Amino acid sequence: MAASIPWIILFTPLVAAGLILLFGKYSKPLSAGLAIAAAGICCVLSWWLFGQPEATEPNQFYWIQISDLFSIPIGVTIDPLSQLMLVVVNTIAPIVFVYSLGYMAREKGYWRYFAGLSLFLFSMLGIVLADNFVMMFIFWELVGVSSYILIGHYFDRDSAAKASKQAFLVNRIGDFGFMLGILMLWAVTGTVVFRDLFTQIPLLESQGVYLVIACVLVFCGTIGKSAQFPLHVWLPNSMEGPTPVSSLLHAATMVAAGVYMLARFFPILDVVPPAREVIAWVGGLTCLFAALMATQQDDIKRILAYSTISQLGYMVLGVGVAPTWDIPMFHLFTHAFFKCLLFLCAGSVIVSMHHEQNIWKMGALKNKMPFTFICTIFGALALSGAGFGPIGFSGFYSKDLIIVWAVQNAPILGWIAALTAGITAFYTFRLLFVVFLGGPRSDAAKHASESPLVMVIPLMLLALPAMGAGWPFIERIFFHVVEPEHVPHFVHYVLFALFLGGLGLAWAFYARAEKDPVSIPLFAHRFYIDNVYDWMVKNIQGGLANLSNWADRWVVDLLVVQTPSKITWVCGYVLRFLQLGNIQAYAFFFAAGVVGLIYLLIAR
Amino acid sequence: MTPTLADYLLVSGILFTIGLTGVMLRRNIIIIFMGLELMLNASNLSLVAFSRYHLTAVGLPNYSGQVLVFFIITVAAAEVAVGLAIIVALYRARQTTHVEDLNSMKF
Amino acid sequence: MSPLLYLILLPLVGAALAILGLPARRVAIAAAAANFLLSVGLVFSFDFTATGYQFVSSCSVMPTLGIAFTLGADGLSLAMLVLSTVVTLAAVCVARPPKNHPAWFFASLLFISAGALGAFASVDAFFFYMFHELALVPTFLLIGIWGSGDRQTAAWKVTIYLAFGSFVLLIGLIGLWLAMPVGERSFDMRVIADQARQGALFLNDTSMALPFGWGTIHGVQVTYLLLFLGFGILVSLFPFHTWAPQAYASAPAPAAMLHAGVLKKFGLYGILRLITPVFPPEIASQFNTLLLVLLVGNLLYVGFVTIAQRKLDLMLGYSSVMHMGYIFLGLLAWNPIGLSGAALMLIAHGLSIAALFALCGELRERTGTLDLADLGGLAKPMPIFGLLFGFATMASIGLPGFANFAGELMIFFGAFSAGLPAKTGFNNFQITTVIALWGVVISAIYMLRAYRQIFMGPVAECWQNLADLTTVPRLCVIALIILLLIAGFYPQLLINTIAPALIRL
Repeated sequence: MAASIPWIILFTPLVAAGLILLFGKYSKPLSAGLAIAAAGICCVLSWWLFGQPEATEPNQFYWIQISDLFSIPIGVTIDPLSQLMLVVVNTIAPIVFVYSLGYMAREKGYWRYFAGLSLFLFSMLGIVLADNFVMMFIFWELVGVSSYILIGHYFDRDSAAKASKQAFLVNRIGDFGFMLGILMLWAVTGTVVFRDLFTQIPLLESQGVYLVIACVLVFCGTIGKSAQFPLHVWLPNSMEGPTPVSSLLHAATMVAAGVYMLARFFPILDVVPPAREVIAWVGGLTCLFAALMATQQDDIKRILAYSTISQLGYMVLGVGVAPTWDIPMFHLFTHAFFKCLLFLCAGSVIVSMHHEQNIWKMGALKNKMPFTFICTIFGALALSGAGFGPIGFSGFYSKDLIIVWAVQNAPILGWIAALTAGITAFYTFRLLFVVFLGGPRSDAAKHASESPLVMVIPLMLLALPAMGAGWPFIERIFFHVVEPEHVPHFVHYVLFALFLGGLGLAWAFYARAEKDPVSIPLFAHRFYIDNVYDWMVKNIQGGLANLSNWADRWVVDLLVVQTPSKITWVCGYVLRFLQLGNIQAYAFFFAAGVVGLIYLLIAR
Repeated sequence: MTPTLADYLLVSGILFTIGLTGVMLRRNIIIIFMGLELMLNASNLSLVAFSRYHLTAVGLPNYSGQVLVFFIITVAAAEVAVGLAIIVALYRARQTTHVEDLNSMKF
Repeated sequence: MSPLLYLILLPLVGAALAILGLPARRVAIAAAAANFLLSVGLVFSFDFTATGYQFVSSCSVMPTLGIAFTLGADGLSLAMLVLSTVVTLAAVCVARPPKNHPAWFFASLLFISAGALGAFASVDAFFFYMFHELALVPTFLLIGIWGSGDRQTAAWKVTIYLAFGSFVLLIGLIGLWLAMPVGERSFDMRVIADQARQGALFLNDTSMALPFGWGTIHGVQVTYLLLFLGFGILVSLFPFHTWAPQAYASAPAPAAMLHAGVLKKFGLYGILRLITPVFPPEIASQFNTLLLVLLVGNLLYVGFVTIAQRKLDLMLGYSSVMHMGYIFLGLLAWNPIGLSGAALMLIAHGLSIAALFALCGELRERTGTLDLADLGGLAKPMPIFGLLFGFATMASIGLPGFANFAGELMIFFGAFSAGLPAKTGFNNFQITTVIALWGVVISAIYMLRAYRQIFMGPVAECWQNLADLTTVPRLCVIALIILLLIAGFYPQLLINTIAPALIRL
């Protein structure tokens, strides 16, 4: 019985998605009800599973099997990592689903939305529970398609259509590297199951550079899914989807799947220092650049999107520098709660502003939307890592832990990460001050009111873990974190000072600003990376495509089809001159032929 | 001197050549037909000559050649009948017996 | 009397009845449905544990040459027969009767079906070849008379091109026949495979010196090359692919479904029957580099050409050519993983391209244009259409859950492990696998862009009142998609059926 619980958790949302697909369009409450019921069942079962011991027996069935050469199982793993992630995903999901009831109340495509969310939940749980690389890859792609469906929810908008396509394609590019890494690992060990791969680490280590390349390729999957540089461009555009989608997929869970995969893969990464260095650098640089880009964005969701990219950079950096997976996963844990909270708060603001998303049209909302304001403060304090010594919001514990590990193991990156923490505080409070303080900058801001209870209660539910998820007694239930040994104490003081500095700068510039006093085009235009990619797609891909098209018509077709056909035609044209129409000429040919025949028969 | 086989064959060859030349060079269809008949009879002559000069073991002529001559005469007669019918039809259609005017099969 | 004979005769009878004057569409649907039920019945009475051919019936036609009309089915043929009947039924149901000569239209469709069924059910190589030729003429008629666009050029091109390919194939077949020991020459595939296993083929091989000091070439190599290239031309291997896009674009939708979905698979099936069990890996591997380069052309070059297309029908035609690259890669891998993947991909691609062409035809009927720039936002007036096209798109780009993914996965794993062991560095198979993986990204690029340009975005005035799919086409496409989902969720079912048939030396 206990062995089938993970399967129930996995397949319930799929059943819900199927039912909504078939029957959802006839009844709105049915779609929502099915989705929320499925999420609720998963939540309860995940918490129950959390208390169970780790599963030692493989719990799988064979999906593809070709004698001994090739077997791909579909199986579930229950170990501390998956139990933890199940709890995170299945706690946030029902909260977001309930919130959606309020957010999507007057939107079209209700059943599509809940079907997509249920499909997403199924796929995400598949990634969490996967016991082998191929199964994880399968659900990785399924998560990508759920994201495609959900980002493209408002499909009659050109921008949403473009964004959903871009998300899927950029993810696919990451998947290209991912699959290649899986193939390389399989080619050496003959298996894709995590448990078996870990027993073959000595064999893998003997491959030298091959293993480094394989690990970096597997990391490519994370670069795509977790929006690290250079495949980060899809995440801000994914904000075209409804805000609950942004909060669940593109903040808390789906993008975290990349980090989860690295945590799962950790035993092998542990023995490949060059790969870890690459991972750490990618994470650290992404962290910094995304934070810089966030300081100049004007759309409330985009600020949070770049913030997500930056925080994911922290997690990836953590994978690169920490000794165990607990440290980056701790930040994933806290980030899921506070980032989801921030997005839901943003959604609350957006709904009451009649879907206005530009922060420079908001303002003075703190009195009109007090609950949202307080929850946003909680979220902001968690995100910027407010805290000192033993007391702080959740982000403080997890982020500072990563920074101190980075300072010990990769000092340059450590200080980059520390600086970014200050920038994080700056843009977070920029958001808070511009949206909630100051004077109302538009009519909609003047007439805003608090969101309905069905949206506010989830906010308050999430504010609690945003504050407390990092506290030591809670953290000890889920993780075994270790502090680094050789970190000087002044690092903590510097971090606190950076936090205060960021907060202070934001207050100075934005507390009473009417429009943005700071203007840095490089950041506002996102380092022009989007423009570079657009250029590449149009000119390199488009160029190659047009060249191939031309070549197909004028080179291949010409050589293979037109040439023989023209040769045949020319031969026919030439040979018809033998048709002289003159009987006597024919008679002459006839006679000449007979003479020739006689010669051949008799004289030779 | 008695004629040998070679003499008959020579005559036959000359007749054949005259006929062939007529077929190839004369412009009137009827004359071409006459050339054809001449070629057929030339081959008849050479067949009879072979029959007469290649005796069988008992001293009699090899009658296969003469039998073949009969076949050829019959076939020639039939051919003339059909051929003249075609020529008449052709004349009715084209009002000409000039072979050079019959070139609608030219490219 | 083998039930397979009835399988082939039913469409022919249907065609005859249609020509004689009975209502064409009803007769065609009845014949196709009866055929489908018969094939399902065959599946249920098939013994999945036995190896070798079942339902065998044989009738000697020309004993001196070893030609006999032998029909039989093993796992692989059974799967292909079911694929053929399913796609035929879908094609006939989706077909709208044309205004001129509807009887001959449906008769031609049924003839193509009979040809495909006969080819897959034949155990004798001669009749295998002959049935494919049987299907060429109806294709010519369908494209030339009832097609759209530049249909006459397309009809001539595809027919002459495929006839030429068949001719090359015939020379190869004769070469194979000549390679057998003198007294035992036969076209029967079982005999050929047996002799190959015993090493009795090519015993009296000839060789010829090549010019420019390129060495000598043996008969066995020439035969292999002729057979592979002959089959390749029939399956649009680069650079012999230019017939396919024009043909599929100009063909009426049911003809495109049948040709791309079923008839094209004939060549690949032929490779699995006449090349892999017959030629030892040492001979085959000599040509690997050449053939790998050609299939990279299929994947990468044709992939880019597909991206450049601005009309949906041409795009689908080119994408069908591109996907053949994957199947060739699986075949060349020459190991059970790759071969199983290729076989699975045969079926998956057949179903998905049939669904896509069916929807493409319906779109053409409604909007009259397939130019991506003119369409847009059609998911609003036609939500079911958009949903089904979305499913078919996701299947075609290899989303897990559909059979295409399982096939591609096995092809990648099989190809990656072919050739030298991975540890000693990258060999040409692995480089090709890397390129094939990039093909996955390319296919996503063009299919998603097409989907976006057709169904997403704001809807123009003229398209606001389009009618959604009616029941019959809807059910057909849903059925195809459900089959893809079943095979995708549980591919082991198909693998167990097909695996015993995939023998190789």
